[in-house]
Amino acid sequence: MASSCSQALRHHVCKSSRLLRVHLQKSWTNRSFEGAVCVSSSFALNSAADQQPAVSSPEEIVIPKKKTWSKEAVLQALASTVKRDPTASDYRFQDDPYLTPKTSSEFKLFSLSQESGRNAAKYFINTYPKYFQKDYAQPHIPCLMPDTLEAQIEEVSEAALIERIGMRKVKAAVDLYDQLLQAGTSVSLDVTNQLLDLICFYGDHDPAQENVPEQRNEETEDVQDEPQAKKGRAAKASDLLKATWKEKNNAERIFALLSEPNTHSYSALIRGMVKYGAYSKAFSTYTDLLNSRLKADVHTFNALITAAPEVKEKYNEKWELIVDLLKQMAEQKVKPNLLTLNAVLKALRRCGTVGKSQAFPVISEMKALSIDLSLASYSHLLAIFYKPGAPIQGQTDILQEVMNEVSGKSFTPQDPDDAQFFITAMRICLDTKDMEQAYRVHELLGVGENWRLLGNDFQQNIYYARFFSLLCMMENIDVMLKWYRDLVPSVYYPSSNVMRDLLQALDTDNRLDLIPQIWKDIKQLGHANRQNLVEELLTLMAREKHNQEVQESFAECALDIKKIYDTGDRGKVLLNWTAGSLSDLISVLLAAHRRQDAWDMLKLFKTHNRVPSEELLNKFLMCVKEDGDVNQAVELVQISAGFCLPGTPKLIQRVQQEFELTEQQRKMLSDLEIQSFNSE
Amino acid sequence: MATSLVRQTKLLSIVTSQLSSAACFRNIHCTAACLKNRAARIRVAKGDKPVTYEQAYHPHHIGHRKGWLSQHTSNLQGEDGAAERVVEDVFIRRFMYGTFHGCLADEIVIKRRGNLLVICAVMIQKLLPSKFYFLIGYTEELLSHFYKCPVKIEMQTVEEKVVYKYL
Repeated sequence: MASSCSQALRHHVCKSSRLLRVHLQKSWTNRSFEGAVCVSSSFALNSAADQQPAVSSPEEIVIPKKKTWSKEAVLQALASTVKRDPTASDYRFQDDPYLTPKTSSEFKLFSLSQESGRNAAKYFINTYPKYFQKDYAQPHIPCLMPDTLEAQIEEVSEAALIERIGMRKVKAAVDLYDQLLQAGTSVSLDVTNQLLDLICFYGDHDPAQENVPEQRNEETEDVQDEPQAKKGRAAKASDLLKATWKEKNNAERIFALLSEPNTHSYSALIRGMVKYGAYSKAFSTYTDLLNSRLKADVHTFNALITAAPEVKEKYNEKWELIVDLLKQMAEQKVKPNLLTLNAVLKALRRCGTVGKSQAFPVISEMKALSIDLSLASYSHLLAIFYKPGAPIQGQTDILQEVMNEVSGKSFTPQDPDDAQFFITAMRICLDTKDMEQAYRVHELLGVGENWRLLGNDFQQNIYYARFFSLLCMMENIDVMLKWYRDLVPSVYYPSSNVMRDLLQALDTDNRLDLIPQIWKDIKQLGHANRQNLVEELLTLMAREKHNQEVQESFAECALDIKKIYDTGDRGKVLLNWTAGSLSDLISVLLAAHRRQDAWDMLKLFKTHNRVPSEELLNKFLMCVKEDGDVNQAVELVQISAGFCLPGTPKLIQRVQQEFELTEQQRKMLSDLEIQSFNSE
Repeated sequence: MATSLVRQTKLLSIVTSQLSSAACFRNIHCTAACLKNRAARIRVAKGDKPVTYEQAYHPHHIGHRKGWLSQHTSNLQGEDGAAERVVEDVFIRRFMYGTFHGCLADEIVIKRRGNLLVICAVMIQKLLPSKFYFLIGYTEELLSHFYKCPVKIEMQTVEEKVVYKYL
C-alpha cells in the first residue's frame, strides 16, 4: 500500500492541485492509517477523473452554476432531521411532569394563563414606558419597545387625524374630523377615504382595547339594545361580531358630507355595509355609484357577490344576480382575483342544485384568467358537493380529484376560509368512510407550511376527533393503537365519545385485554367521571371469560373503578351505582376469584337500593361452592330472600342439595322456603 | 465655623498623603467589610440547618464539585461587557426571587446563547401550574422588553427543597 502510494505520489506530483497537497499534508500529519486510506481513495478518484477525459471524445464539460445557500440553510437541514417527539407536550409548556397539561381543559387553562401573564407585563410596560426606553439591541428591535398608546399630536390638524387613524381610535378620529370641518379646514379626499375605511372596518365601534379596562364600561353603555353581558370580554367579542350596521351612523354621515366621493369612498362604504349585514343598502349604494358614472373596484364586487345570496330567495335568482355582477365587472374592465372566485363559490354553496352545475364552469373560467385556487376554494367546492347530513350518491370521486390536485403542494394563507379545508375534508372522509383519502388529507398536513392552516385549537380538536373516529371504525386495532400512541396526548386530548369509539374498536378486534391500559388513559384525561363511559367499560370486562392473567388485571381495574364510585374527598358523589354496573363489577371480581371483595360489594346492593339479578346470585353460589364455605351460602340465600327475588326457591334447593348443612341451617332454609312459597 | 472646617479637611488631606507616602497602606474603610474568605460559605453549626448541594460546597469547589451559576462569554480573552453581565445577573436573580416568592428551591442558573437569555430555575410545587404559567409569561415578557433580547425560562419543579446535608 505504501509503495503504491508513493508511486502514485510521484506520478501526480507534477500536476497535483493545491487541494491535493493540502489533503496530503493534513492526512499525513494527523493520523497515519486513516490518512493513507483517504489518500489512496482520493488518488483513485483523481486518477479515474484524469483518465476519463482522455478516453472519451472531447465533450464539453458543463460546469454547473454555483449554488448560493441562504444563511439559514444549515439550520434548516438540521431541523429537517428532527421529527416531532410524540412523548413531549406542546412547545408552549415547560418540560416538567407537574407543569404538563393532561386534559384538554388543562391545556386551555395553562396556555391562557401564560397569555394573561404576558398581557399583565404589557400593561406595566405600556403604563410606565420611561423604564424601558434604554436600547441595548443592535440592530434595533422595534417589537421590544413600549407601545405608544396615547396620541402625540394634540392640535387639531390633518396630521393628528392621520395619527389617530393609524392608532385605530375610531371615536377619537371621528371627533377630530368633525372638529376640523367646524374649524373650516378642508380635509383631503385621501385622508377622508382612510377615515371611512377605518369606520367601515370597525363598524363604528372602537376595537377592543385589552389593556385599558375602564374603557369597556363606556362602550357597553354606548351600544344600545345589547343584552347586559355578565361575562365581560367574551360577550363583548361576540357582540362586536353580531354588531349590525346602525341606521344613522358616522360612515354614512361623513360620506354624505363628501362633495365628490370617488371609487374608494363608495368601496369602503359598500364593504362596511356588507360586513355588518346591511345587504340591501349595499346594493342601493352600488346603484348610486353607477348613477354617478364611476367604476367600482374588485373589492366592491367581491363584497357584492358575498351579499348576493342574502338579498334573493330562489336559487336561480341568486345565480342570475351573481352572473349579472360578473358581467358588469367585465364591462368595467375590472380583473377578478382569488377572493372573487372564493366569494362566488361560497355563494354557490347556498344555491343548491344550481351550485353543483355551475361550480366547475366557474372554476375553469377563473383558471383561464390564471387565478390559482387556494384551499378555501377547494373547501367551498367540497361543501357544494357534499352537504352535511345528505345521503352520499356516488360522488366520491370529487374528493379524490381534489386530493389529486392538492397533494404535495404547500399552501399559504390567502383567505380566512382556508382554515376550513381540513375540517371539511375530514368530515367528508368520515361520512363516506374513505380511509385512503383520510390518510392523504393527513399527509397534506405534513407538507411544508400547511400545518398553519389547521386553524385554532378548537378546530384542531374537531379535525382529530373525526380522524380518530374514522380510524376506530375502519382500521384494525394495531394500526389504531399506533396512531393513538403517536398523537395522544402530545397533539390531541380525546373526548369521552372518542374513547367510547376506541372501546368499540377493541371489542370488534377482540383485544379486550388492553382495557386496563385504556382505563389508565381515561383516568388521566379526566373522563373518569362520565357515567356511560365507565359503565360500558365494566360491561365489556364482565362479558366473557378470559385467561387468568387478563382476569387478574381486570380485577385490579375493577377495584380501581370502585374507588371512583365511592364518595370523593369532599363528600361529593361523582358517580351513581346502577344494578348493571354493580353486577358487572361483582362478576369481574368473581371471575378472578376475589371472593372477599365480591362479598363486600354485595352488601352495597342494600345500601344503594339496587336489586341484584338472579344470574349474579347463581354465579356467586357457584363460586362459593368451589370454596365450600357453607355459612356464606346460607347468608346468600338469606340475602336473596331479603330482596324477595323470584329465584329464591331454586336457590334454596341448590344449597340444600349441594352443601352439607347443619340442623340449624336446614331449619332456617326450610323456614325461608315456606316463606317464599307463601309469598308467591 | 467655616474656617475650622477648612482647617480640618486640610488636616485630613495631610494625614492621608502622609500615610500613603509612608508605605503603610491602611486606609479608611468606607463600606461594610466583605471578607472574601467568608463569602458564600455556610459555617458548620449545631446540625439542624438544612443545606442544599449548592450551598454546602464552598466557592473554591467551583469547577471541581460545583458548576457555574452564570454562563456567558464576556470573560474570554478579547470579549467585553463582563461588568454589564454581572449587573444584569444580579437584577435577574432579585427579580426571580421576588416574583416567584417562596417557590425557589435553589439558585437560578443563567445561560446566554447568542442573543438569547435562558433562565433555568428549580421550583417547589407550592403554586398551582396555572399560576406558575402566569408568572412565567409575565417574567419572560417583562425581562424581554427590559433587556431588549429574547428571554426564556426553563423550569423544573420538585416537591420540596432537596436537602444535601444538615450543618
